Amino acid sequence: MTDYANVGTTTPSSGRMLSDMEDVHEDHEQPHPIEEEQEEPEEEEGVMLALDSPQIQAALEACKILVIGAGGLGCEILKNLALTGFKEIHVIDMDTIDLSNLNRQFLFRPKDVGQPKATVAAEFVMQRVPGVKIVPYFGKIQDKDDEYYSQFQIVICGLDSIEARRWINAKLVEMIDEEDPQSLKPLIDGGTEGFKGQARVILPTINSCYECSLDMFNKPTTFPICTIANTPRLPEHCIEWASVLEWPRVWGKDTKYDTDNPEHISWLYRTATERAEKFNISGVTYSLTQGVVKNIIPAIASTNAIIAASCCNEVFKIATGSPYLDNYMMYTGNDGIYTYTFQHQKKPECPVCGQIAASAELDREMSLEDLIESLKERPDVQLKRPSLRTASKSLYMQAPPALEEATRPNLEKKLEDLIEAGEYITVTDVALPVSIQLKVSWKE
Amino acid sequence: MATEHVPSLKTQKYDRQLRLWAATGQTALENAKICLLNATSTGCEILKNLVLPGIGSVTVVDHTIVNETDIRTNFFLEPSNIGMSKAKATATLLKELNEDASVSFENKSASDLIHTQPEFFDVFSMVIATNLMEQDILALGDICHRTEKTLITVQSKGLAGLFRIQSPEHTIVETHPENMLDLRLGCPFQELEDYVDTIELDALDQTDHGHIPFIVVLLKYIHAWKQEHDGQMPSTYSERNEFKKLVKSGMRTPDEENFEEAVANVWRLSSTTTVEPSVRKILDDPEAQKLNSNSDSFWIITRAVKDFVDNEGAGQLPLAGKLPDMKSDTTNYIDLQNVYRKKALADLDSVKERVKSLLQEYNIPLDNIPESVIEVYCKNAATIKVIRYRTLREEYVSSPCTNSIVNWLKSDENIIFYILFRAAEKFANKHKRYPGAAGGSNEEEVGLLTEQAVELLKDLGVTDAPSSLLQSDFIKKCIKNYVRFSDQEMANMAALMGGLVSQEAIKLITRQYVPINNTCVFNGIASTSNVYNL
Repeated sequence: MTDYANVGTTTPSSGRMLSDMEDVHEDHEQPHPIEEEQEEPEEEEGVMLALDSPQIQAALEACKILVIGAGGLGCEILKNLALTGFKEIHVIDMDTIDLSNLNRQFLFRPKDVGQPKATVAAEFVMQRVPGVKIVPYFGKIQDKDDEYYSQFQIVICGLDSIEARRWINAKLVEMIDEEDPQSLKPLIDGGTEGFKGQARVILPTINSCYECSLDMFNKPTTFPICTIANTPRLPEHCIEWASVLEWPRVWGKDTKYDTDNPEHISWLYRTATERAEKFNISGVTYSLTQGVVKNIIPAIASTNAIIAASCCNEVFKIATGSPYLDNYMMYTGNDGIYTYTFQHQKKPECPVCGQIAASAELDREMSLEDLIESLKERPDVQLKRPSLRTASKSLYMQAPPALEEATRPNLEKKLEDLIEAGEYITVTDVALPVSIQLKVSWKE
Repeated sequence: MATEHVPSLKTQKYDRQLRLWAATGQTALENAKICLLNATSTGCEILKNLVLPGIGSVTVVDHTIVNETDIRTNFFLEPSNIGMSKAKATATLLKELNEDASVSFENKSASDLIHTQPEFFDVFSMVIATNLMEQDILALGDICHRTEKTLITVQSKGLAGLFRIQSPEHTIVETHPENMLDLRLGCPFQELEDYVDTIELDALDQTDHGHIPFIVVLLKYIHAWKQEHDGQMPSTYSERNEFKKLVKSGMRTPDEENFEEAVANVWRLSSTTTVEPSVRKILDDPEAQKLNSNSDSFWIITRAVKDFVDNEGAGQLPLAGKLPDMKSDTTNYIDLQNVYRKKALADLDSVKERVKSLLQEYNIPLDNIPESVIEVYCKNAATIKVIRYRTLREEYVSSPCTNSIVNWLKSDENIIFYILFRAAEKFANKHKRYPGAAGGSNEEEVGLLTEQAVELLKDLGVTDAPSSLLQSDFIKKCIKNYVRFSDQEMANMAALMGGLVSQEAIKLITRQYVPINNTCVFNGIASTSNVYNL
């Protein structure tokens, strides 16, 4: 009998998933299918054609789909789309297959460990479902350009990172050309964690986009550095100490640990244990060490099946001109079965899809450096290394090095010495393919 | 670097799910024996989600031969399978998903087995049946009820799906609630009071003052309040606000996080009992009072805990013993944690003694209830659950929920799919085919199906103009759509229902997390779901 004793359970939702829905409680009734925007090939509104009718089949065959992610959700999505009758599907994934994927990513077998997910997934489905063409790409979504993305009618994501979602969301918004209806690519996005998940339909610039809802998502748990350094209380603190403070001290700042290397994890586990013993803290295990260092999210086949199928349902409905989800479904399955379907509102001042610039009420005495820090912190903006400029000058540019050096002195200056009320600050950042406009006013 | 702690390959493979249900859950899965009746797309999708996480064994029962239509929506069939036994073909492709699971098949008719060979089901712990006809469902329900097995029946057509759980009494200790804290702030135990007394807040220097756990801070100020208020706790809204001000006044600097935590947790003071009404009901359940040598471990421990609560527990459950993180230095936090842990251990020992006495009293071997099981119960005592499922026979025949169904129909709920799936069963009985099997939209079919829906309502006991309940636009559209889907499964819905049913099966098998009671409808058109207790 295998000894699983050392793997601990975690309660789901440690801050990576959705926050309480209280503040986005839109007024909604049980939604009936939306009728207004759809072209109905049927005789009657809201009633559907038989699934194997020639019209439906033709609609599916004409629809080229892009699947982003060939992991837990991606495998399910490829299977569902192929069986539904879509004939040309492209799939992008930058990962290779790991042993811990096999409990749910069912297109992969032990012999495939180390191979690219996109390639293996494509081959499996094409072999099992004759007549479908699946074109894999082993690489990043950022490798592809507008020309690539414009060939698709619908994009469906099964990603595990907020950054990647923001990128593709912004890309599809940026590609909108008001003169060309074909430039509108619906984006169906799914995500899961343990027994929970969500599926949403994004029509870029028409309804709420991914960026519009950014503040719904809690930032991942981080521990204050003083706790890690001086007053640890939990086994997690000891693990953070080992990975954040002790590892660089012992191995040098330039040697990063590899979370997939069992030797590295073992070292971190032993180091964390020693520290815990010193402070009389119990509970450090190998499993917990892995969980903290890799930010592991529990995952099972059943939740992925539910969310992927919900997303594929929407793809089917959009492709065949039927009423579809408007626009967000949340799912929890740990206590009974609960779905909450609602319409998330588009933000007029959304930095990505909004028409108006976000307004920023700033403290005139604040330094530029502090402003940049606050932009990184803001849950509705969440930037990594922002560069700022106005119409007339660069305030602080992260690159190239010469410009960075030249604008570095501005960091210490007060905002009121650099900008005027009513001016627009343009913010650019690696996280987004679009820029953000902030209209400046002073706090009284 | 050495790697002696690296977990086994199997543990690595199952890592992501072990973090949800741990070793005990996994063992339960590996001991389960599941029977699937009818290798429909939905049925195969359910099994996929059980085979992947390592279910013990599954047996696929189906008597049909694979045809062209089958391979179009079932991922576990290939063109080369046409002409083969469907049970064999699907079992083969399911088996290769995970070499740990045992997958077998029986080329037999589910209906025949149910009516002529009920002992076939003896070896299984759970039966999952897709697209069965009504008389088969009832007969199978009777068999499973009699032999105390769990049964899940599933229907999936077009963009709608439904499933129903019938299970023997289902007790759950590990419900995994989102937030479970047992701090006893409103009803501190003696050892906690004693510990708090050893700390002199005012005598502490600046650093230490800001590093005392908020629990100690709160209890200190409660003492002070009680002295000024006749031994009473703050009880009204304004008193609690006054109390918050009192605590805030103790802050030496405006950024003492521990004091901020104290203020934020004042609301916990109003909780003076750990025994919620739902838990009290379980403690007082007749099953816990009338024990015998065949009593389930759950009820024996429940009785022990009830007796603990009513005696040395002084009205409280055994202490869970866990502390959340809080602003504090290491020593004070660990010391406080040890106070809680010690008390939790003492309570646990007390319960263990009581369990031992009960086992002896009823001549049950002591090994039957390992200490680890008692420990898990005590840690989760505040959130245990018991679900008692109505049988299918009660739902369909002896005591249908007529009034509830009528009310649901009036408020346009997804109950219409329940009506339609059941009406389709009656349709099949009468017309020897399923609605719309003639192909495509058909006014006459819609009329015939509506007729069966009215018949069903009459069967359910609706005497007052049953057909009037089916008049809304929404319901009429649902009936039309149902006919248009004819008898086809849709790959997406098969996958979605596969996810929902397998999830419930896993909860039932592992006895962790809370399954539904008892029917779930998923409306794939609107992307909504409902759970009904029918």
